[in-house]
Amino acid sequence: MASLRYLRAVVCLAGLAVPAVGAGQAAQNATLRRAQQAYDNLEYRQVLTLARAALRERLTGADRARAYELLGFTYGAMDSILKAVDAFKQVVLLDPERQLDPNRVSPKAYSAFDVALRQVLLVRQLRVDSVSFVGGQGAVPIRFTVTQPARVVARAIGSGATVLIDSGAWNGQVNLRWPARLPGGDPVPAGTYTVVVDARLGQNTFSASQPIRVSHGRVDTLPSITSLPGYQILPETEIPPQSWRPVGLAFLYTGGALVGTLGLEGSSLGSSSKRELGLVGGAALVTGFVMMLRKPAPRPAEANILYNRLLRDQIARRNQDIAKENVARRQQVQVTVAPVSK
Amino acid sequence: MKRPALAALLLALALRPAAGQLVIVGPQFVLADYREVASELRYRGSGVGGALSARRDRLSVEAAVVRLIFDPAAGSAADSGFTATQLDAWVAYDVAAYASVEVGVLHRSADPEFDAQSVGAVRVGGRSFYEIGPGATVVFRADYLAAPKFSGGGRAAVSLDLGLGLDVRLAGRLHGTATYAFSRMNRKTNPGGTGEIDAPIQETVARVGLALAF
Repeated sequence: MASLRYLRAVVCLAGLAVPAVGAGQAAQNATLRRAQQAYDNLEYRQVLTLARAALRERLTGADRARAYELLGFTYGAMDSILKAVDAFKQVVLLDPERQLDPNRVSPKAYSAFDVALRQVLLVRQLRVDSVSFVGGQGAVPIRFTVTQPARVVARAIGSGATVLIDSGAWNGQVNLRWPARLPGGDPVPAGTYTVVVDARLGQNTFSASQPIRVSHGRVDTLPSITSLPGYQILPETEIPPQSWRPVGLAFLYTGGALVGTLGLEGSSLGSSSKRELGLVGGAALVTGFVMMLRKPAPRPAEANILYNRLLRDQIARRNQDIAKENVARRQQVQVTVAPVSK
Repeated sequence: MKRPALAALLLALALRPAAGQLVIVGPQFVLADYREVASELRYRGSGVGGALSARRDRLSVEAAVVRLIFDPAAGSAADSGFTATQLDAWVAYDVAAYASVEVGVLHRSADPEFDAQSVGAVRVGGRSFYEIGPGATVVFRADYLAAPKFSGGGRAAVSLDLGLGLDVRLAGRLHGTATYAFSRMNRKTNPGGTGEIDAPIQETVARVGLALAF
């Protein structure tokens, strides 16, 4: 009977020892290795002495977490629950992702670890799932755990843009769905982003991050048009046909000056010299004659100008439609999001 | 007071060409015929001068100064000639595509002073202009000469001024200009208070020249 009781105790203690042994690689620090050995041998006093001594030495982060974990398990085995909780708080602060398997550790140690978790503000187990969807028709699942009720802000920070994913007062397991779109509706630019979750509770803050890669599928956009099939821009000037108009106008103006001169001449002064009028009027008539023979100057073709204006308006309107369609096409691009290892 | 203001306006337009602004300036050769009082008192002359015109949008200014040497014409009762300096200036505003209203001044001084009448008057009238071909414009103007002043006194209730102008762009900035002007002043004087007598003045001037456009 006594041997059976001894066997049960050995099995129970062996269960306590398993997490410490399986926590990871062997400790680098010699003192810590001795502490681990003492724990394996159920020499708890020795474990406490050696683990505390190891903590006074220079340790890596993993060794320091392992030392506190040994202390937590040992205090749990010795029924010093408060000390076990304090030791496990140090463990989760050093390694926030640390988890205990409830099937492999004693209920006392597990409950002490659980209490420790709820006494420290942490964002744990941040996971971004790989997903691929059409822009505007899907979302990126994001999960994390907040160990205390806290104001939490989740962002995606990239070289091209920083996007707010969501925010709120959360506690426990949080599931978010991020559509990966900018405020204007466009998908976030392709590239590498870091999903950062910031939690704040009073003076305490904690952040967790997960790099992700966003890539886009190919988008077939329509090119702008510069012309409409079957319609062409017409010349906006036209050369009028040759006419008698230049010499007619020169004759009219010169005739006006001649008639005015003859009309104003007074009989008392006699007929004035026509040498001056002949000189200038002759020059005007010759100029008019030459202009009549010359190719007329181009003049605006009003009908063509109106036609071109209508055509340009149509092209501009069509390009606006194309631009709108291209915006919609760009927003409906295939978006692929995948987590990247840190 | 008027002359400095007009000169300043011309200078401002000439020195600061801008979009919609055109300045044309150049020398001119002048022919003229001058008659006064009766058909026997007539002169023919020639001379040189300069003209400047500027346009900015609808506003345009034009000025010409000539110096003429008049000699008695064949059959004239005059026994000696005289020299005249004449200033003509206009400021016009386009009221339509082919028409402007204009105001201006006319001033002609004679040397020796008593060989011919020196005259000053204000012009008020209008002009019509038309581009008869690329770079070729003809102008017809008619002005009333208001408030004329004569060195020998007298008045002229009916005084008119007619003009014909031609501006042709010959090549690049080079323009050819020709201007004809006829003025008639029905002057009346009252020498010694014996009653008004007619002493009309009539002048025709032709200016031909080259000009540069800026």
